Amino acid sequence: MSSRILLAAVTAFLYLPVAVLVVFSFNASEVMAFPLSGFTWHWYGVLANNDNFWNGFVASLLIAQPVGLLGTLIALATALALADRRPLRGRMVLIGLLLIPFLVPKSVLSIAQAMIMSRVGIPRGATVLILAQTLMVLPFTTALIASVLVRLDPRLEEAARDLGALPWQAFRRVTLPQLKAAIGAAYSVAVILSLSDLAISMFLSGRTQPLSLIVASQFRRELTPDLNAMQVVVLAVTVLLVTVSELLRRRQTKAQTIPFDIQPAAALGHRA
Amino acid sequence: MTLSKHHLAIPAAVVLVIGAVLPILLLVMFSVFRVEDLDLVPALSLRSWTDVVTSGTYRFLIGKAVVSGIVTVLLCIPVAYPLALCLTRLDARWKGIGLIVLLTPLYTGEIVRIYAWRIVLGSEGLVNATLKALGVIDQPLKILLFSPVATHLVLAYDNLPFMTLAIWVSAEFVDRRLIEAARDLGARPMQAFAQVWLPLTAPGLAAGAFATFSLAAGDMLTPMLLGGTSGATAMAMIDNLFGTAFDWPTASALALTLLGVLNIGAVLIALAVLRLGRLRAGVSA
Repeated sequence: MSSRILLAAVTAFLYLPVAVLVVFSFNASEVMAFPLSGFTWHWYGVLANNDNFWNGFVASLLIAQPVGLLGTLIALATALALADRRPLRGRMVLIGLLLIPFLVPKSVLSIAQAMIMSRVGIPRGATVLILAQTLMVLPFTTALIASVLVRLDPRLEEAARDLGALPWQAFRRVTLPQLKAAIGAAYSVAVILSLSDLAISMFLSGRTQPLSLIVASQFRRELTPDLNAMQVVVLAVTVLLVTVSELLRRRQTKAQTIPFDIQPAAALGHRA
Repeated sequence: MTLSKHHLAIPAAVVLVIGAVLPILLLVMFSVFRVEDLDLVPALSLRSWTDVVTSGTYRFLIGKAVVSGIVTVLLCIPVAYPLALCLTRLDARWKGIGLIVLLTPLYTGEIVRIYAWRIVLGSEGLVNATLKALGVIDQPLKILLFSPVATHLVLAYDNLPFMTLAIWVSAEFVDRRLIEAARDLGARPMQAFAQVWLPLTAPGLAAGAFATFSLAAGDMLTPMLLGGTSGATAMAMIDNLFGTAFDWPTASALALTLLGVLNIGAVLIALAVLRLGRLRAGVSA
Protein backbone atom coordinates (compact mmCIF):
# COMPACT_ATOMS: atom_id res chain seq x y z
CA MET A 1 0.00 0.00 0.00
CA SER A 2 2.68 2.48 1.03
CA SER A 3 4.65 1.52 -2.09
CA ARG A 4 1.66 2.55 -4.23
CA ILE A 5 1.59 5.93 -2.55
CA LEU A 6 5.29 6.37 -3.27
CA LEU A 7 4.89 5.38 -6.92
CA ALA A 8 1.96 7.77 -7.32
CA ALA A 9 3.78 10.62 -5.55
CA VAL A 10 6.91 10.28 -7.70
CA THR A 11 4.86 10.06 -10.89
CA ALA A 12 3.04 13.24 -9.85
CA PHE A 13 6.36 14.97 -9.13
CA LEU A 14 7.85 13.90 -12.47
CA TYR A 15 4.85 15.08 -14.48
CA LEU A 16 3.86 18.13 -12.43
CA PRO A 17 5.83 20.73 -14.44
CA VAL A 18 4.61 19.35 -17.75
CA ALA A 19 1.00 19.30 -16.55
CA VAL A 20 1.21 22.90 -15.34
CA LEU A 21 2.67 23.96 -18.69
CA VAL A 22 -0.16 22.33 -20.63
CA VAL A 23 -2.84 23.76 -18.31
CA PHE A 24 -1.58 27.33 -18.61
CA SER A 25 -1.31 27.13 -22.39
CA PHE A 26 -5.14 26.78 -22.37
CA ASN A 27 -5.78 29.28 -19.57
CA ALA A 28 -7.78 32.38 -20.53
CA SER A 29 -5.57 34.92 -18.80
CA GLU A 30 -2.50 36.98 -19.55
CA VAL A 31 -1.04 36.20 -16.13
CA MET A 32 0.22 32.74 -15.34
CA ALA A 33 -1.24 32.45 -11.86
CA PHE A 34 -3.77 30.45 -9.93
CA PRO A 35 -6.75 30.32 -9.78
CA LEU A 36 -7.38 29.46 -13.45
CA SER A 37 -9.63 31.71 -15.55
CA GLY A 38 -11.23 29.37 -18.09
CA PHE A 39 -10.43 27.51 -21.30
CA THR A 40 -9.14 29.16 -24.48
CA TRP A 41 -7.35 28.36 -27.74
CA HIS A 42 -6.29 32.00 -27.90
CA TRP A 43 -2.59 31.49 -27.13
CA TYR A 44 -2.22 28.95 -29.92
CA GLY A 45 -3.66 31.58 -32.26
CA VAL A 46 -1.16 34.16 -30.99
CA LEU A 47 1.59 31.58 -31.41
CA ALA A 48 0.60 30.89 -35.02
CA ASN A 49 1.31 34.56 -35.77
CA ASN A 50 4.62 34.75 -33.94
CA ASP A 51 7.18 34.42 -36.75
CA ASN A 52 10.08 34.57 -34.31
CA PHE A 53 9.04 31.34 -32.57
CA TRP A 54 8.16 29.53 -35.77
CA ASN A 55 11.48 30.40 -37.37
CA GLY A 56 13.22 29.01 -34.31
CA PHE A 57 11.07 25.88 -34.40
CA VAL A 58 11.83 25.32 -38.09
CA ALA A 59 15.56 25.98 -37.51
CA SER A 60 15.57 23.41 -34.68
CA LEU A 61 13.85 20.81 -36.85
CA LEU A 62 16.18 21.48 -39.80
CA ILE A 63 19.22 21.01 -37.56
CA ALA A 64 17.80 17.89 -35.93
CA GLN A 65 17.32 15.99 -39.22
CA PRO A 66 20.99 15.89 -40.34
CA VAL A 67 22.01 15.18 -36.74
CA GLY A 68 19.64 12.21 -36.79
CA LEU A 69 20.94 10.95 -40.16
CA LEU A 70 24.65 11.43 -39.42
CA GLY A 71 24.34 10.23 -35.83
CA THR A 72 22.60 7.04 -36.97
CA LEU A 73 24.83 6.28 -39.98
CA ILE A 74 28.11 6.75 -38.11
CA ALA A 75 26.71 4.80 -35.16
CA LEU A 76 25.66 1.91 -37.44
CA ALA A 77 29.15 1.75 -38.95
CA THR A 78 30.78 1.92 -35.50
CA ALA A 79 28.47 -0.73 -34.06
CA LEU A 80 29.26 -3.09 -36.97
CA ALA A 81 32.99 -2.65 -36.35
CA LEU A 82 32.61 -3.13 -32.58
CA ALA A 83 30.41 -6.22 -32.89
CA ASP A 84 32.51 -7.96 -35.53
CA ARG A 85 33.51 -11.46 -34.48
CA ARG A 86 37.16 -10.81 -35.18
CA PRO A 87 37.96 -8.50 -32.25
CA LEU A 88 38.62 -4.94 -33.35
CA ARG A 89 42.14 -3.66 -32.71
CA GLY A 90 41.99 -0.67 -30.41
CA ARG A 91 38.49 -1.62 -29.30
CA MET A 92 38.99 -0.21 -25.82
CA VAL A 93 40.42 3.01 -27.26
CA LEU A 94 37.29 3.45 -29.37
CA ILE A 95 35.03 2.76 -26.39
CA GLY A 96 37.08 5.25 -24.36
CA LEU A 97 36.63 7.85 -27.12
CA LEU A 98 32.88 7.22 -27.11
CA LEU A 99 32.80 7.86 -23.35
CA ILE A 100 34.36 11.34 -23.61
CA PRO A 101 31.07 13.12 -24.39
CA PHE A 102 29.71 11.55 -21.17
CA LEU A 103 32.61 12.60 -18.96
CA VAL A 104 33.10 16.15 -20.22
CA PRO A 105 30.25 18.59 -19.51
CA LYS A 106 28.65 19.69 -22.78
CA SER A 107 29.37 23.36 -22.13
CA VAL A 108 33.09 22.75 -21.44
CA LEU A 109 33.45 20.78 -24.66
CA SER A 110 31.50 23.38 -26.64
CA ILE A 111 33.66 26.23 -25.33
CA ALA A 112 36.81 24.29 -26.25
CA GLN A 113 35.40 23.65 -29.72
CA ALA A 114 34.48 27.32 -30.10
CA MET A 115 38.06 28.28 -29.18
CA ILE A 116 39.55 26.07 -31.90
CA MET A 117 37.10 27.33 -34.47
CA SER A 118 37.71 30.94 -33.75
CA ARG A 119 41.50 30.26 -33.84
CA VAL A 120 41.37 28.42 -37.17
CA GLY A 121 38.77 30.80 -38.57
CA ILE A 122 35.80 28.45 -39.00
CA PRO A 123 32.60 30.50 -38.61
CA ARG A 124 30.07 29.29 -36.07
CA GLY A 125 26.65 28.41 -37.39
CA ALA A 126 24.36 25.60 -38.47
CA THR A 127 27.09 23.35 -39.94
CA VAL A 128 29.32 23.22 -36.87
CA LEU A 129 26.26 22.98 -34.62
CA ILE A 130 25.14 19.90 -36.55
CA LEU A 131 28.60 18.33 -36.28
CA ALA A 132 28.91 19.08 -32.55
CA GLN A 133 25.46 17.67 -31.84
CA THR A 134 26.26 14.57 -33.90
CA LEU A 135 29.29 14.04 -31.68
CA MET A 136 27.09 14.41 -28.59
CA VAL A 137 24.54 11.81 -29.78
CA LEU A 138 27.09 9.20 -30.98
CA PRO A 139 27.52 7.39 -27.62
CA PHE A 140 23.74 6.98 -27.30
CA THR A 141 23.02 5.91 -30.88
CA THR A 142 26.01 3.54 -31.04
CA ALA A 143 25.04 1.86 -27.76
CA LEU A 144 21.45 1.45 -29.01
CA ILE A 145 22.40 -0.19 -32.31
CA ALA A 146 25.27 -2.26 -30.88
CA SER A 147 23.06 -3.69 -28.11
CA VAL A 148 20.72 -5.17 -30.74
CA LEU A 149 23.54 -6.18 -33.09
CA VAL A 150 25.34 -8.35 -30.52
CA ARG A 151 22.13 -10.30 -29.88
CA LEU A 152 21.64 -11.28 -33.55
CA ASP A 153 22.37 -14.83 -34.60
CA PRO A 154 25.63 -14.62 -36.61
CA ARG A 155 24.82 -17.91 -38.29
CA LEU A 156 22.13 -16.23 -40.38
CA GLU A 157 24.64 -14.03 -42.14
CA GLU A 158 27.14 -16.90 -42.44
CA ALA A 159 24.47 -19.06 -44.02
CA ALA A 160 23.72 -16.33 -46.54
CA ARG A 161 27.44 -16.15 -47.36
CA ASP A 162 27.59 -19.95 -47.72
CA LEU A 163 24.73 -19.76 -50.18
CA GLY A 164 26.75 -17.38 -52.32
CA ALA A 165 25.72 -13.94 -51.13
CA LEU A 166 28.39 -11.23 -51.33
CA PRO A 167 29.25 -9.56 -47.99
CA TRP A 168 27.27 -6.48 -48.96
CA GLN A 169 24.27 -8.58 -50.08
CA ALA A 170 24.37 -10.61 -46.87
CA PHE A 171 24.43 -7.40 -44.86
CA ARG A 172 21.64 -5.72 -46.82
CA ARG A 173 19.28 -8.69 -46.96
CA VAL A 174 19.98 -10.46 -43.66
CA THR A 175 21.48 -8.12 -41.07
CA LEU A 176 19.97 -4.78 -42.03
CA PRO A 177 16.31 -5.94 -41.91
CA GLN A 178 16.90 -7.15 -38.36
CA LEU A 179 18.39 -3.80 -37.38
CA LYS A 180 15.60 -1.66 -38.84
CA ALA A 181 13.91 -1.01 -35.51
CA ALA A 182 17.16 -0.23 -33.69
CA ILE A 183 18.12 2.20 -36.46
CA GLY A 184 14.72 3.87 -36.21
CA ALA A 185 15.05 4.18 -32.46
CA ALA A 186 18.60 5.58 -32.75
CA TYR A 187 17.38 8.15 -35.25
CA SER A 188 14.58 9.36 -32.96
CA VAL A 189 16.87 9.53 -29.94
CA ALA A 190 19.33 11.63 -31.94
CA VAL A 191 16.56 13.97 -33.13
CA ILE A 192 15.16 14.33 -29.60
CA LEU A 193 18.58 15.06 -28.10
CA SER A 194 19.23 17.64 -30.81
CA LEU A 195 15.84 19.34 -30.32
CA SER A 196 16.31 19.52 -26.56
CA ASP A 197 19.87 20.83 -26.67
CA LEU A 198 20.61 24.28 -25.34
CA ALA A 199 24.16 24.05 -23.97
CA ILE A 200 25.85 23.37 -27.32
CA SER A 201 23.66 25.84 -29.22
CA MET A 202 24.61 28.60 -26.79
CA PHE A 203 28.26 28.41 -27.82
CA LEU A 204 28.22 27.21 -31.41
CA SER A 205 25.04 28.31 -33.16
CA GLY A 206 26.37 31.67 -34.38
CA ARG A 207 23.61 33.45 -36.24
CA THR A 208 21.36 30.40 -36.40
CA GLN A 209 18.67 30.71 -33.73
CA PRO A 210 17.25 27.35 -32.64
CA LEU A 211 14.07 27.50 -30.59
CA SER A 212 15.72 26.56 -27.29
CA LEU A 213 17.97 29.59 -27.62
CA ILE A 214 15.07 31.93 -28.35
CA VAL A 215 13.18 30.62 -25.33
CA ALA A 216 16.27 31.03 -23.13
CA SER A 217 16.67 34.65 -24.23
CA GLN A 218 12.99 35.36 -23.48
CA PHE A 219 13.36 33.73 -20.11
CA ARG A 220 14.68 36.69 -18.17
CA ARG A 221 11.83 38.89 -19.31
CA GLU A 222 8.18 38.45 -18.45
CA LEU A 223 6.86 35.11 -19.68
CA THR A 224 3.88 35.15 -22.05
CA PRO A 225 1.30 32.37 -22.43
CA ASP A 226 2.05 31.93 -26.16
CA LEU A 227 5.50 30.75 -25.08
CA ASN A 228 3.68 28.07 -23.05
CA ALA A 229 1.78 27.07 -26.17
CA MET A 230 5.09 26.83 -28.08
CA GLN A 231 6.57 24.60 -25.37
CA VAL A 232 3.48 22.39 -25.53
CA VAL A 233 3.90 22.07 -29.31
CA VAL A 234 7.55 21.06 -28.82
CA LEU A 235 6.45 18.59 -26.17
CA ALA A 236 3.83 17.10 -28.49
CA VAL A 237 6.43 16.61 -31.24
CA THR A 238 8.74 14.90 -28.73
CA VAL A 239 6.00 12.61 -27.42
CA LEU A 240 5.14 11.68 -31.00
CA LEU A 241 8.76 10.78 -31.73
CA VAL A 242 9.10 8.75 -28.52
CA THR A 243 5.88 6.86 -29.27
CA VAL A 244 6.94 6.04 -32.82
CA SER A 245 10.36 4.79 -31.72
CA GLU A 246 8.84 2.77 -28.87
CA LEU A 247 6.35 1.15 -31.29
CA LEU A 248 9.22 0.33 -33.66
CA ARG A 249 11.17 -1.25 -30.82
CA ARG A 250 8.18 -3.34 -29.74
CA ARG A 251 7.51 -4.57 -33.25
CA GLN A 252 11.11 -5.74 -33.39
CA THR A 253 10.96 -7.68 -30.12
CA LYS A 254 7.61 -9.26 -30.97
CA ALA A 255 8.47 -10.63 -34.38
CA GLN A 256 12.05 -10.97 -35.51
CA THR A 257 10.94 -10.86 -39.11
CA ILE A 258 13.02 -12.86 -41.53
CA PRO A 259 12.49 -12.06 -45.21
CA PHE A 260 10.93 -14.94 -47.08
CA ASP A 261 13.77 -15.42 -49.55
CA ILE A 262 16.32 -16.27 -46.88
CA GLN A 263 14.13 -18.73 -44.98
CA PRO A 264 16.15 -21.72 -46.26
CA ALA A 265 19.35 -20.03 -45.17
CA ALA A 266 17.86 -19.48 -41.73
CA ALA A 267 16.89 -23.15 -41.52
CA LEU A 268 20.41 -24.10 -42.49
CA GLY A 269 21.80 -21.83 -39.84
CA HIS A 270 19.68 -23.40 -37.14
CA ARG A 271 20.73 -26.90 -38.06
CA ALA A 272 24.41 -26.07 -37.83
CA MET B 1 45.15 -3.16 -47.68
CA THR B 2 41.72 -4.66 -48.02
CA LEU B 3 38.65 -3.11 -46.52
CA SER B 4 37.11 -4.96 -43.62
CA LYS B 5 34.30 -4.34 -41.18
CA HIS B 6 36.87 -2.81 -38.85
CA HIS B 7 37.37 0.17 -41.14
CA LEU B 8 33.79 1.15 -40.40
CA ALA B 9 35.02 2.47 -37.04
CA ILE B 10 37.06 5.18 -38.79
CA PRO B 11 34.34 7.86 -39.16
CA ALA B 12 33.46 7.75 -35.46
CA ALA B 13 37.12 7.75 -34.44
CA VAL B 14 37.81 10.77 -36.68
CA VAL B 15 34.79 12.69 -35.39
CA LEU B 16 35.69 11.99 -31.75
CA VAL B 17 39.39 12.76 -32.12
CA ILE B 18 38.82 16.03 -33.97
CA GLY B 19 35.71 17.07 -32.04
CA ALA B 20 36.56 15.94 -28.50
CA VAL B 21 40.20 14.93 -27.98
CA LEU B 22 41.74 17.80 -29.94
CA PRO B 23 39.71 20.56 -28.23
CA ILE B 24 40.70 19.24 -24.80
CA LEU B 25 44.38 19.02 -25.77
CA LEU B 26 44.15 22.57 -27.06
CA LEU B 27 42.71 23.67 -23.71
CA VAL B 28 45.90 22.32 -22.15
CA MET B 29 47.97 24.26 -24.69
CA PHE B 30 46.04 27.53 -24.37
CA SER B 31 46.24 27.35 -20.58
CA VAL B 32 50.00 28.03 -20.70
CA PHE B 33 49.82 30.71 -23.42
CA ARG B 34 49.96 34.44 -22.71
CA VAL B 35 47.67 37.23 -23.86
CA GLU B 36 49.39 40.27 -25.33
CA ASP B 37 47.53 43.11 -27.05
CA LEU B 38 44.36 41.03 -27.38
CA ASP B 39 46.23 38.23 -29.05
CA LEU B 40 47.25 34.78 -27.83
CA VAL B 41 51.00 34.38 -27.76
CA PRO B 42 52.56 30.93 -27.55
CA ALA B 43 54.45 30.69 -24.27
CA LEU B 44 55.09 28.44 -21.34
CA SER B 45 53.51 30.53 -18.65
CA LEU B 46 51.97 29.19 -15.48
CA ARG B 47 50.27 32.50 -14.66
CA SER B 48 46.75 31.28 -15.47
CA TRP B 49 47.22 28.16 -13.37
CA THR B 50 48.50 30.11 -10.35
CA ASP B 51 45.57 32.51 -10.85
CA VAL B 52 43.07 29.68 -10.76
CA VAL B 53 44.67 28.01 -7.74
CA THR B 54 45.16 31.19 -5.68
CA SER B 55 42.07 33.22 -6.58
CA GLY B 56 39.34 33.03 -3.96
CA THR B 57 36.60 33.56 -6.56
CA TYR B 58 37.61 30.60 -8.70
CA ARG B 59 38.07 28.34 -5.70
CA PHE B 60 34.67 29.41 -4.41
CA LEU B 61 32.98 28.68 -7.74
CA ILE B 62 34.59 25.25 -8.08
CA GLY B 63 33.73 24.44 -4.47
CA LYS B 64 30.18 25.54 -5.19
CA ALA B 65 29.95 23.13 -8.14
CA VAL B 66 31.12 20.29 -5.89
CA VAL B 67 28.62 21.21 -3.15
CA SER B 68 25.82 21.44 -5.72
CA GLY B 69 26.67 17.96 -6.96
CA ILE B 70 26.76 16.48 -3.46
CA VAL B 71 23.50 18.16 -2.41
CA THR B 72 21.78 16.82 -5.53
CA VAL B 73 23.05 13.29 -4.86
CA LEU B 74 21.84 13.52 -1.25
CA LEU B 75 18.42 14.79 -2.39
CA CYS B 76 18.03 12.01 -4.96
CA ILE B 77 19.04 8.96 -2.92
CA PRO B 78 16.24 9.00 -0.26
CA VAL B 79 13.61 9.12 -3.03
CA ALA B 80 15.32 6.96 -5.64
CA TYR B 81 16.22 4.09 -3.32
CA PRO B 82 12.76 3.20 -1.99
CA LEU B 83 11.35 3.92 -5.44
CA ALA B 84 13.75 1.44 -7.06
CA LEU B 85 12.85 -1.23 -4.46
CA CYS B 86 9.14 -0.65 -5.17
CA LEU B 87 9.74 -1.01 -8.90
CA THR B 88 11.49 -4.38 -8.50
CA ARG B 89 8.38 -5.72 -6.78
CA LEU B 90 6.08 -4.94 -9.73
CA ASP B 91 5.17 -7.62 -12.27
CA ALA B 92 6.73 -7.58 -15.73
CA ARG B 93 4.00 -5.54 -17.45
CA TRP B 94 3.98 -2.80 -14.80
CA LYS B 95 7.77 -2.72 -14.87
CA GLY B 96 7.63 -1.84 -18.55
CA ILE B 97 5.14 0.94 -17.81
CA GLY B 98 7.26 2.08 -14.86
CA LEU B 99 10.30 2.37 -17.11
CA ILE B 100 8.43 4.52 -19.64
CA VAL B 101 6.97 6.75 -16.89
CA LEU B 102 10.44 7.18 -15.43
CA LEU B 103 12.26 7.95 -18.67
CA THR B 104 9.74 10.07 -20.60
CA PRO B 105 10.41 13.30 -18.64
CA LEU B 106 14.06 13.02 -19.74
CA TYR B 107 13.01 13.55 -23.32
CA THR B 108 11.59 17.00 -22.64
CA GLY B 109 14.30 19.55 -23.31
CA GLU B 110 16.27 21.21 -20.55
CA ILE B 111 14.75 24.57 -21.30
CA VAL B 112 11.19 23.19 -21.31
CA ARG B 113 11.73 21.71 -17.85
CA ILE B 114 13.35 24.86 -16.45
CA TYR B 115 10.57 26.94 -17.95
CA ALA B 116 7.85 24.75 -16.47
CA TRP B 117 9.43 24.81 -13.02
CA ARG B 118 9.56 28.58 -13.15
CA ILE B 119 5.76 28.57 -13.47
CA VAL B 120 5.36 26.02 -10.67
CA LEU B 121 7.61 27.88 -8.23
CA GLY B 122 6.76 31.50 -9.12
CA SER B 123 5.20 33.82 -6.55
CA GLU B 124 1.76 33.23 -8.12
CA GLY B 125 2.67 29.68 -9.06
CA LEU B 126 1.22 26.33 -8.14
CA VAL B 127 3.11 25.83 -4.88
CA ASN B 128 2.46 29.31 -3.51
CA ALA B 129 -1.18 29.29 -4.61
CA THR B 130 -1.75 25.94 -2.92
CA LEU B 131 -0.06 26.98 0.31
CA LYS B 132 -2.06 30.20 0.33
CA ALA B 133 -5.34 28.41 -0.27
CA LEU B 134 -4.54 26.05 2.58
CA GLY B 135 -3.86 29.03 4.81
CA VAL B 136 -0.29 28.00 5.52
CA ILE B 137 1.12 31.32 4.31
CA ASP B 138 -0.17 34.88 3.77
CA GLN B 139 2.62 36.16 1.56
CA PRO B 140 4.04 34.13 -1.34
CA LEU B 141 7.34 32.42 -0.52
CA LYS B 142 9.88 34.37 -2.57
CA ILE B 143 12.62 31.92 -1.72
CA LEU B 144 11.10 29.25 -3.97
CA LEU B 145 12.18 30.82 -7.26
CA PHE B 146 15.52 32.34 -8.29
CA SER B 147 17.26 30.79 -5.31
CA PRO B 148 19.46 27.81 -4.45
CA VAL B 149 16.24 26.04 -3.43
CA ALA B 150 14.92 26.21 -6.99
CA THR B 151 18.28 25.24 -8.49
CA HIS B 152 18.69 22.11 -6.39
CA LEU B 153 15.06 21.06 -6.62
CA VAL B 154 15.31 21.13 -10.42
CA LEU B 155 18.74 19.45 -10.45
CA ALA B 156 17.28 16.67 -8.29
CA TYR B 157 14.26 16.48 -10.61
CA ASP B 158 16.56 16.16 -13.65
CA ASN B 159 18.67 13.41 -12.09
CA LEU B 160 16.07 11.38 -10.19
CA PRO B 161 15.40 9.09 -13.21
CA PHE B 162 19.13 8.29 -13.65
CA MET B 163 19.63 7.56 -9.97
CA THR B 164 16.50 5.40 -9.77
CA LEU B 165 17.38 3.48 -12.91
CA ALA B 166 20.91 2.70 -11.69
CA ILE B 167 19.66 1.38 -8.32
CA TRP B 168 16.74 -0.44 -9.93
CA VAL B 169 19.00 -2.35 -12.35
CA SER B 170 21.25 -3.59 -9.53
CA ALA B 171 18.28 -4.38 -7.25
CA GLU B 172 16.77 -6.58 -10.00
CA PHE B 173 19.78 -8.90 -9.70
CA VAL B 174 19.47 -9.35 -5.93
CA ASP B 175 18.44 -12.90 -5.10
CA ARG B 176 15.17 -12.59 -3.15
CA ARG B 177 15.95 -15.75 -1.21
CA LEU B 178 18.81 -13.92 0.53
CA ILE B 179 16.34 -11.42 1.99
CA GLU B 180 13.96 -14.19 2.99
CA ALA B 181 16.84 -16.10 4.56
CA ALA B 182 17.88 -13.01 6.53
CA ARG B 183 14.29 -12.57 7.75
CA ASP B 184 13.99 -16.27 8.61
CA LEU B 185 17.15 -16.00 10.66
CA GLY B 186 15.52 -13.27 12.71
CA ALA B 187 16.70 -10.06 10.99
CA ARG B 188 14.29 -7.16 11.41
CA PRO B 189 13.28 -5.40 8.14
CA MET B 190 15.75 -2.56 8.77
CA GLN B 191 18.55 -5.02 9.49
CA ALA B 192 17.77 -7.03 6.37
CA PHE B 193 17.87 -3.76 4.44
CA ALA B 194 21.15 -2.52 5.89
CA GLN B 195 22.99 -5.82 5.78
CA VAL B 196 21.61 -7.47 2.65
CA TRP B 197 19.98 -4.95 0.32
CA LEU B 198 22.43 -2.13 0.82
CA PRO B 199 25.68 -4.07 0.18
CA LEU B 200 24.19 -5.89 -2.81
CA THR B 201 22.88 -2.72 -4.45
CA ALA B 202 25.93 -0.60 -3.65
CA PRO B 203 27.32 -0.85 -7.21
CA GLY B 204 24.10 0.58 -8.66
CA LEU B 205 23.98 3.26 -6.01
CA ALA B 206 27.61 4.15 -6.81
CA ALA B 207 26.90 4.35 -10.55
CA GLY B 208 23.87 6.55 -9.91
CA ALA B 209 25.83 8.83 -7.58
CA PHE B 210 28.64 9.08 -10.16
CA ALA B 211 26.29 10.13 -12.97
CA THR B 212 24.19 12.45 -10.80
CA PHE B 213 27.20 14.21 -9.32
CA SER B 214 28.84 14.79 -12.72
CA LEU B 215 25.67 16.04 -14.36
CA ALA B 216 24.56 18.28 -11.49
CA ALA B 217 27.97 19.75 -10.65
CA GLY B 218 28.70 20.48 -14.31
CA ASP B 219 25.33 22.10 -15.00
CA MET B 220 25.33 25.76 -15.97
CA LEU B 221 21.83 26.47 -17.25
CA THR B 222 19.75 25.51 -14.22
CA PRO B 223 21.64 27.79 -11.77
CA MET B 224 21.89 30.51 -14.43
CA LEU B 225 18.15 30.59 -15.18
CA LEU B 226 16.63 29.59 -11.83
CA GLY B 227 19.31 30.49 -9.30
CA GLY B 228 18.81 34.25 -9.40
CA THR B 229 21.65 36.10 -7.70
CA SER B 230 23.03 32.78 -6.45
CA GLY B 231 23.28 31.54 -10.02
CA ALA B 232 26.97 32.27 -10.70
CA THR B 233 28.79 29.11 -11.75
CA ALA B 234 32.33 28.21 -12.71
CA MET B 235 30.95 27.40 -16.16
CA ALA B 236 29.46 30.88 -16.58
CA MET B 237 32.78 32.34 -15.41
CA ILE B 238 34.63 30.32 -18.06
CA ASP B 239 32.19 31.60 -20.68
CA ASN B 240 32.80 35.14 -19.50
CA LEU B 241 36.59 34.77 -19.55
CA PHE B 242 36.42 33.24 -23.01
CA GLY B 243 34.01 35.74 -24.55
CA THR B 244 33.99 39.15 -22.94
CA ALA B 245 37.30 39.19 -21.09
CA PHE B 246 39.30 37.46 -23.85
CA ASP B 247 41.41 35.70 -21.25
CA TRP B 248 41.67 32.32 -22.94
CA PRO B 249 44.55 31.01 -20.80
CA THR B 250 42.59 31.51 -17.57
CA ALA B 251 39.40 30.21 -19.20
CA SER B 252 41.29 27.06 -20.29
CA ALA B 253 42.96 26.51 -16.93
CA LEU B 254 39.65 26.98 -15.12
CA ALA B 255 37.85 24.62 -17.53
CA LEU B 256 40.50 21.93 -17.05
CA THR B 257 40.43 22.36 -13.27
CA LEU B 258 36.65 22.07 -13.25
CA LEU B 259 36.86 18.99 -15.47
CA GLY B 260 39.43 17.37 -13.19
CA VAL B 261 37.57 18.22 -9.98
CA LEU B 262 34.27 16.94 -11.40
CA ASN B 263 35.70 13.60 -12.52
CA ILE B 264 37.79 13.06 -9.39
CA GLY B 265 34.81 14.08 -7.23
CA ALA B 266 32.52 11.67 -9.06
CA VAL B 267 35.00 8.81 -8.68
CA LEU B 268 35.52 9.56 -4.96
CA ILE B 269 31.78 9.64 -4.30
CA ALA B 270 31.27 6.36 -6.16
CA LEU B 271 34.14 4.75 -4.21
CA ALA B 272 32.75 6.04 -0.92
CA VAL B 273 29.36 4.47 -1.68
CA LEU B 274 30.97 1.17 -2.63
CA ARG B 275 33.00 1.22 0.58
CA LEU B 276 29.88 1.85 2.62
CA GLY B 277 28.35 -1.22 1.00
CA ARG B 278 31.40 -3.35 1.78
CA LEU B 279 31.52 -2.17 5.40
CA ARG B 280 27.89 -3.16 5.80
CA ALA B 281 28.54 -6.55 4.26
CA GLY B 282 31.51 -6.94 6.62
CA VAL B 283 29.28 -6.38 9.64
CA SER B 284 26.94 -9.15 8.60
CA ALA B 285 29.72 -11.64 7.87
